[in-house]
Amino acid sequence: MTPAYYLFLSAILFTIGVLGFLLRRNAIVVFMCVELMLNSVNLSLVTFARMNGTLDGQIMAFFVMVVAAAEVVVGLAIIVSIFRTRRSASVDDANLLKY
Amino acid sequence: MTPTDIPAPSIAYGPLWPMIAVFLAAAIGVLVEAFVPARRRRPVHLVVALAGLTGGLVAVALVARNHHHPTLIAERAVAVDGPTLFIQGTLLLLGIAAVLLLGERSLDSTGGTFVAAAAVVPGSRGERQLTASSTMQTEVFPLAMFALGGMLLFPASNNLLLMFVALEILSLPLYLLAGLARRRRLLSQEAAVKYFLLGAFSSAFFLYGIAMLYGYAGSVDLGAIFTATGTVGSNDTLLYLGIALLSVGLLFKIGAAPFQNWTPDVYQGSPTPVTALMASGTKVAAFGALLRVFYVAFGPVRWDWRPLMWGVAILTMGVGAVLAITQTDVKRMLAYSSIAHAGFILTGVVALNRSGLSGSLFYLLAYGFSTLGAFAIVTLVRDADGEATHLSQWRGLGRRSPALAGIFALFLLAFAGIPLTSGFTSKFAVFSAAISSGATGLVVVGLIASAVAAFFYVRVIVLMFFEAPAPDGPTIAVPSVLTYGAIALAFAVTVVLGVIPGPLFTLADKAALFVR
Amino acid sequence: MLRPYIPILFLGILGAALAVVSVLGGGFIGPKRYNRAKLDAYECGIEPTEQAVSAARFPVKFYLTAMLFIVFDIEIIFLYPWAVAFGRLGLFGLVEMVAFLATVFVAYAYVWRRGGLDWN
Repeated sequence: MTPAYYLFLSAILFTIGVLGFLLRRNAIVVFMCVELMLNSVNLSLVTFARMNGTLDGQIMAFFVMVVAAAEVVVGLAIIVSIFRTRRSASVDDANLLKY
Repeated sequence: MTPTDIPAPSIAYGPLWPMIAVFLAAAIGVLVEAFVPARRRRPVHLVVALAGLTGGLVAVALVARNHHHPTLIAERAVAVDGPTLFIQGTLLLLGIAAVLLLGERSLDSTGGTFVAAAAVVPGSRGERQLTASSTMQTEVFPLAMFALGGMLLFPASNNLLLMFVALEILSLPLYLLAGLARRRRLLSQEAAVKYFLLGAFSSAFFLYGIAMLYGYAGSVDLGAIFTATGTVGSNDTLLYLGIALLSVGLLFKIGAAPFQNWTPDVYQGSPTPVTALMASGTKVAAFGALLRVFYVAFGPVRWDWRPLMWGVAILTMGVGAVLAITQTDVKRMLAYSSIAHAGFILTGVVALNRSGLSGSLFYLLAYGFSTLGAFAIVTLVRDADGEATHLSQWRGLGRRSPALAGIFALFLLAFAGIPLTSGFTSKFAVFSAAISSGATGLVVVGLIASAVAAFFYVRVIVLMFFEAPAPDGPTIAVPSVLTYGAIALAFAVTVVLGVIPGPLFTLADKAALFVR
Repeated sequence: MLRPYIPILFLGILGAALAVVSVLGGGFIGPKRYNRAKLDAYECGIEPTEQAVSAARFPVKFYLTAMLFIVFDIEIIFLYPWAVAFGRLGLFGLVEMVAFLATVFVAYAYVWRRGGLDWN
């Protein structure tokens, strides 16, 4: 099995994440789609590490995981606070800011 | 691929001190939150933050004196060169002014522009009690310091992974800061959610671009990518995908069209001192990173990406200048004006020569201070509900408070690029650099956009000075020395750079050389 | 000059087509039979109980604990490569790792002092 298949899988997962981000309404689900995008990048990184024969990609995946965790925490804090205010996590309800 | 292949890296810590000082102050700020009683936190925070920023500034000066030859340190991950030091110095000065604004608490009748407790539900009884209390969420100081540390690291990274980490360090605290306004909690929370979701989305694109470039060059070092672009036979599709995806992340951060949608919403909803920090600091840092990536790594393939950047620059100038005309809110108008300015600076980026780089650096410094000063003045015009940001409320402000309105008018004239302000010099610098690189068409569009933009800046000035004030108009709050200090700094930079731009111009020109 | 962008353009068109087709196709092809059971929350056959609107679904405490767990759990990831390469990295690695852990403990001190670890 050639490593390129993993790259295709990663691209598909990334696209699913993008589509989910654009189409879903619930802020938590939208946010999970971003996490899916980040993890699909991780798959690309380790595949390229394998193809290039270097370790860098694997180390980068570690950093991405840590950054993603920090992002989860910040994001959950913001989404929970807005949910407590509005009793809804729909991104369509956040519509006060416009001209 | 065995662990024994890993050599121990070596790090020269000396040139890292500007960043270490700021991060150290941020960590101390967290400890202050943990161990200092709530009543005494704000002054302690102010001292720690200002000490860290001043220390960073001293470190920048020392590094600039001792390292005449640009170098790459920490396994080539951090570049110590002219643009790094110039941008870091700019950011530290902007940071000092922004921290002064964050520390202001005599504006609101109670306790500054930040919420007393972020976790309290807006509209509840607990919130009404807290609105009247004089406490504030003092975590804003360490958060702002972490964001500033990330901003210092972002343009200094010569390694895309480090650049991504720095991008997140600067972004994550700003997402939280956006949601901490004392008044108009709903708008503030909404700004935080929007900024967070779109920011995370764009940084995922940035990261996918990094993965593509890693696949292309086998390394995320900017120098290695530069070398790889010179060789034949690599997979060019990966390179172009990488450039495109990386640009999405960077253009989002600078607020360039078509990734500008978040800017007005977030600028309007955030607490105004945080908006000042975002509009000046984030823009400077993100442009520094953009310049480094495109000048250092993608120079050899310029013919492939320049047409796209042309398009982005034209679109950005157009969208910013045209939509700003229709705005009725001061903060939204300044947000669209910042989009237009991102387009003007992009003309310097597209020039891709030394004068383009020095012009962009000069522009960033001048624009950073003008926009910070403008937002600082927005914090002072208030009515019973907090800041009076609707343009109709600013009618006749010049009759009530000529000095304040005069300073605001000066910042607007600087945005418009009127001679004898810093804006004229900086626009002249980037436009002449673009012409010298053959981008005359772009400059023509830039001049038209400047003229359109000048129209709405002048309209606000006319509104302030030549119309009768509304009877129930806002009052001008009397701030403490902190806000005065920030406004004075911004005012001085805007005037001095307009009247005698020579010395800084020479400095920017001397600094305008990236290390590879 | 713009030739290298053609594959990207195609990729973009393909992506956009996939998005449009799947969204529109679902609307056209999919059966539209809505009934009460289908609109309810999925709860393994148990009749969903009405929740008072004012009651939050989980106490916020759960989220706080989850967030703290995620952060402190994931930070440990850097200890594994360091442990594997410890012999080669020597004193430099040790100093860097102590600095890293000190930073984590700063955050820990904040959480602990501000009551993030109390369950009340």
